[in-house]
Amino acid sequence: MPPNIDMDRCSGCGMCDKICPLDVIHFDSEKNMPIVKYADECWHCGSCRLECPMGAIKIFFPVEMLY
Amino acid sequence: MIGNIREYEFETDVLIVGGGLAGNNAALGALEKNVKVIVADKGTLERCGATAGGVDHFMAYLNTGPWDTREAYLSYVAKIARGAVDLKVQDAVFCKELEAALERMEKIGCTLKQSDGKYLRTQSLGQPGPYFINFNGKNLKPALAKEARRLGVFALERCMMTDLLYDGERVIGAVGFNIRTGDFYIVKAKATILATGCTTRLFHNPTGLPFNTWQCPQNTGAAQVMAYKVGAKLANMEYMRITVVPKGFSAAGLNALMGMGGRLINAYGEEFMAKYHPMGNKAPRSMLVYAVMKEIQMGNGPIYIDCTHLSEADLNHLKRTLGYDKDTLPDFLEQKGVDLSKEPLEVMYSEGMQAGPSEVCGSGIMIDERTSSSIEGLFACGDCTDQMRCVHLCTTGGYLSGKVAAEYAKNYSHPIRVDKKEIQRLKEAIYRPLWVTGNLDHKTVENVIRRVMWEYAGPVRNEKSLNLAIDKLQSLKEEAQALKAKDFHELMRVHETNQLIDIGTIMCHASLERKETRFGIFHFRSDYPETKEEFEGEIVIFQKDGKVVKEFKKLSYDKIP
Repeated sequence: MPPNIDMDRCSGCGMCDKICPLDVIHFDSEKNMPIVKYADECWHCGSCRLECPMGAIKIFFPVEMLY
Repeated sequence: MIGNIREYEFETDVLIVGGGLAGNNAALGALEKNVKVIVADKGTLERCGATAGGVDHFMAYLNTGPWDTREAYLSYVAKIARGAVDLKVQDAVFCKELEAALERMEKIGCTLKQSDGKYLRTQSLGQPGPYFINFNGKNLKPALAKEARRLGVFALERCMMTDLLYDGERVIGAVGFNIRTGDFYIVKAKATILATGCTTRLFHNPTGLPFNTWQCPQNTGAAQVMAYKVGAKLANMEYMRITVVPKGFSAAGLNALMGMGGRLINAYGEEFMAKYHPMGNKAPRSMLVYAVMKEIQMGNGPIYIDCTHLSEADLNHLKRTLGYDKDTLPDFLEQKGVDLSKEPLEVMYSEGMQAGPSEVCGSGIMIDERTSSSIEGLFACGDCTDQMRCVHLCTTGGYLSGKVAAEYAKNYSHPIRVDKKEIQRLKEAIYRPLWVTGNLDHKTVENVIRRVMWEYAGPVRNEKSLNLAIDKLQSLKEEAQALKAKDFHELMRVHETNQLIDIGTIMCHASLERKETRFGIFHFRSDYPETKEEFEGEIVIFQKDGKVVKEFKKLSYDKIP
C-alpha cells in the first residue's frame, strides 16, 4: 500500500507527517521514523513524495486499483 | 473524563473553516485588509484540500475574440448550468474578480503561463472556445500558504471544526478539536467563512476503496452540515456529480485527455459520443458520464479514451503535464502498463459526490453577490456553496469572501457573547464517541451509507427510492449514536460519518422536490425523466424549528447582467 518509505534514505525530518493532507502518516519520535498509520485512507495525492527532501518516498498502487 | 481534555480559547476578526484553495484565497483577501485571521483545517495549510497535490487548469476568458468575452462566458454559463447557476452572483464572484486573480497568481509565484510566456488554452466540456488555461499548479497550495503566512495568518492545523457558535441572531465563531492531541478549541469570531468543499465518500466507489475519490476524501460536507444546523439556506443539494476516470483510479485527468483531443470509444472501437450530444467528445461532463454509463449498460463496454491518434508533440505535452493535477496519475499508468501513445486507456464512471452539477456552479450554502449566507455573520466560499466550484471560482470567489468578511468584521460593533452551557453541551457531544460502550465502528456505518445512497439516491432515483433512503438514513443516524472512537483520529472519522448521514438525508429531501430530470444522471428521476422549464431555478432547503423547509428560487436567464 502507498506510500512506501525507503528507510535507508529517510533522514527522519518528519516532513511527510507534517504535510499529509489526510493524517495518514505519523512520525514516531521514539523510533525516529515515519509510520504509514492509516494506509487504507491514502488518497494517492503524492503530497508526501512532492515534499520529501530526501526523495525517499515511492507510491505503489494497491492491487484493487490496478485490475 | 472530559475534564482531562485541554481547552483553548481564541478570538479573531475572521475565522475561516477550511484552508483549501477557496479558504486560502479568502485568507489572503482578509489579511490584505489588515484584520486578524484564523484558518482551521484538518490538514496543514501547505497541502490541504482538493488541490493538495496540484492542479492543471484554470477557466477564464481573456478578451482575445468574440467567444472570449465576459458576455460570451456568461452566455456559456447560462447554457451549461441552466437552472442551477445565478448569473448575478457569477458576475460578482468571478467576472469582477478575474483580472485581479490572474495578477495574484503571478504575484504569488504560480504563473498560469508556459515557459514561453504564453497561455496554453484547451477546449472541452461544452465550451464555445478554449476557456481552460493549462498550467503547472503543483505548487499552487504551498505558494498560497506561504503568502498567507507572510501576511500573518494564524493556522489551526489538524483541527476539525464541528459546530458553529450561534447567539440566536448571528454566527460568532465555531468549536472543534485537534485530531492528534484531542485539545478542545473555542474560536470567537466577528465574521466566519465556511470553505470545506464538497462531500466525498458518500456514494459507493467502484474500486471498493472509499478513500479513492476524485476530490479530496477529507471533504465530508462539514460546512454544509454546520450551516444547516444553525438554519442557513442550502441550494442545489440534489445534484450527485460523477466523472469519467481511468479504470481503478479516481483521478482528475478527463479535462486534460479530452481537451487535448482524446476520443471515447467502446469495446467495438466505435466513437459513440455523437449519438449522445452534438458536441461529441467535447460535450459537457454530465453527458460524457451519461454516455459511458449507457454504453456499459447496453453491453458495449469496456470503454476507453483513445489518444493514439494525437501528434507526438501533443502526446509529449500530455505525458509531461498529466501529473500536474494528480501527481500520481503517471505512476498509475506506468504501474498499470498503459502507454497512451500505443493503446487506448480504459475508463469508467467514478464514485458519486455531493457537488455542483457543472464546472461553473456548486452545491451547498446559498450565497449572494457578497458571498453572504442567509445567516448574519456567516459567509461561504468554494465548493461548499451553491455558486462556486473549480479553481477559477475558488480563487476569485474565495478572495472576495475574505475581503467582504474582513469589512464586516471591521464594522462589527456587537459584543461576542458565548453561552457557556452551550459550549459545554457541544463539547460533550464532540467527545462522546470516545466514552460510549459498544463496538460499532465508523467504517461499517460508512459502507452502509454509501450503498444506500448509490442504490436509492444515486444515478437513478424516484420518489419511492428517495423516501426509502431517508428512512434508512434515519435508522442509521440512530445506530450512529453507538459509534465508538478509539482515538482522536477515529473521533474525526466518526464525526465525518455523522456528516455523511446528514448530507445524504438533505440530498434526498432536495431531490424529492425537483420533480424533473436535469444535468443527465446528476439528477435523473425515473418517475420524471423530462427536463421542465418550470424548474429553471434552485431548490432551497433549510431547517426551521426542527423541521425541513423547502422553497423554490426561480432564476432568470433573459439577459446577461
